[in-house]
Amino acid sequence: MMKKELGLFLLLAVISAITGAINPAFLSFVNLLNMANLIGLFGVFALGEGLVIITGGIDLSLGSMFALLGVIFIDLLTTYQVPWPLALLLVLMGGLALGGIQGFLITRLKMQPFIVTLCGLLIYRGAARYYTSDSTRGFGYGDEASTLSNIASGNVAGIPNTFIFLIILALILGVLLHRSVYGRWLYAVGKNEEAARFSGINTNVVIATAYVISGGLAGVSTVMFVFYTNSVSPSSFGNFYELYAIAAAVLGGCSLRGGEGSILGIVLGTALLQVLQNLVNILGIPNSLNFAVMGTVILIGVLADQQLQARRRRKAALAGLARTAPKATPGQGKQSTSTLSAAAVRTGTGEQT
Amino acid sequence: MVTPHDAGLAVLELKGIGKEFGAIRALHGVDLRISPGEVVGLMGDNGAGKSTLVKIIAGNFPPSHGEIRFDGRPVHFVRPIDARAVGIEVVYQDLALADNLTAAANVFLGRELKRKLGPFALLDHKAMAARALELFGELRSETRPHDLVRQMSGGQRQAVAIARTRLSNAKLVMMDEPTAAISVRQVEQVLSLIHRLKEQGVAVVLISHRMPDVFAVCDRVVVMRRGEKRADKAIADTSPEEVTSLITGAKEAA
Repeated sequence: MMKKELGLFLLLAVISAITGAINPAFLSFVNLLNMANLIGLFGVFALGEGLVIITGGIDLSLGSMFALLGVIFIDLLTTYQVPWPLALLLVLMGGLALGGIQGFLITRLKMQPFIVTLCGLLIYRGAARYYTSDSTRGFGYGDEASTLSNIASGNVAGIPNTFIFLIILALILGVLLHRSVYGRWLYAVGKNEEAARFSGINTNVVIATAYVISGGLAGVSTVMFVFYTNSVSPSSFGNFYELYAIAAAVLGGCSLRGGEGSILGIVLGTALLQVLQNLVNILGIPNSLNFAVMGTVILIGVLADQQLQARRRRKAALAGLARTAPKATPGQGKQSTSTLSAAAVRTGTGEQT
Repeated sequence: MVTPHDAGLAVLELKGIGKEFGAIRALHGVDLRISPGEVVGLMGDNGAGKSTLVKIIAGNFPPSHGEIRFDGRPVHFVRPIDARAVGIEVVYQDLALADNLTAAANVFLGRELKRKLGPFALLDHKAMAARALELFGELRSETRPHDLVRQMSGGQRQAVAIARTRLSNAKLVMMDEPTAAISVRQVEQVLSLIHRLKEQGVAVVLISHRMPDVFAVCDRVVVMRRGEKRADKAIADTSPEEVTSLITGAKEAA
């Protein structure tokens, strides 16, 4: 289970080391903190996306949700002068509500997640642009929410708050996913919904909850992004961000078929994506190649993971034979081959770590 | 050990069970009595009414006519959960296991053991693994609680599915083609699992097309044809040839 995360961590370390060796600026304090900030910003909603992917679904609406919730948030603070705690609460509730609607459509009305959230992507973006007449919303010169701004974009002892938020949320969701009954059910539902239902699990509630959590985390991310950019232009704010989240989750070991993935993997996946983006800048690779580099790395990563897994399965099958064969047929020939294969397994697993 | 045909209470008693789907009569006038610790083979060609009967007993849908008594009391199931609540478990052909989880996780799926940590309830992995190991021991299966179901043989998967039924102390276990898709050696394992259930006083209904399996473990064989029960005989009083002719209709009833 932990092999994937370990592999990802090693990949991250190797890439960082190589980049740092070529250009020491990569490992400078300022650059590391900058990356930590971006990892925090992009990690929070990737966690929600990961949960949804573990159920076997997908959430394509996140980026548009940022735009819609973002313009509403800024409007609440500036035009309507709503106190920031209330505005924050409303945006979080808005995220939860949008997630809830999507979850309802997917589980109760049996619509496909891809279609529901694709329509969400189109609708929220359209709503945001219509609401603002396509004009950028930003904070004026007043300090409408300086307290919240300080919380969302400040730092503690130099460490960006966004990164701290990510760690806190990752810990909470890690316990939820890996230690709680809900998490266990999430994996079961993602792999074999029918089996989960036969076991008495209310699969609709489990799946819908994942979308609600994803929506809620989108609300949190909205606030963090708004204070990161300080303005929201409704046609471009958050564009493609859901794809970053999906990429991070897949890179982190989530299977789009559902039932696979971990919180640590998603965080590492996000980190790897941000490191890749950063090294494109640092190494002077033309910025236009940014997406191409990302795509290539994801492609290679997923391919390598599949190959490793297939190898592991073959080994496991061999080990299974080695375990049972001597008992069934105590013949001399069988026994020697089985001990051989057992030895092969031992050396094999040694290589993989 | 409880021997079949004890004069005691039947665990399951069906009287005049019938089922219509619109104009189609799927079942008609089925009577059946199963005692604790009895293994009954349910045989019949495709469309003979086996699955309809099993689904009625399992609570997937109610019968149109007739009465079901479980443990001496009349019961009316609306949903499968109702049947499970009184002690009826079904081991489905596709096994209904989540193969990304461990054996122990599957045994406890939907019934996880928790330990309290302040206001939170966390999974109690240790207790679940220990209990699962115990259950596998009872079934004399070498399945290991921490193995992923994905990596298991068909026989081990059956052990996991059957351990699930032991967890809830089911009194009647219905198995849908448990030996259909597995190797000869694993068939042996599964049949011995059925023996273990019998030893513990659990009644088993074995739905199978495989004549040798039915004759190896069953006390009685029930043959369905065209929605009716055509035969209900002790294994000792019949032969594979007779059962085959009953299934195909070469022989009308026995």
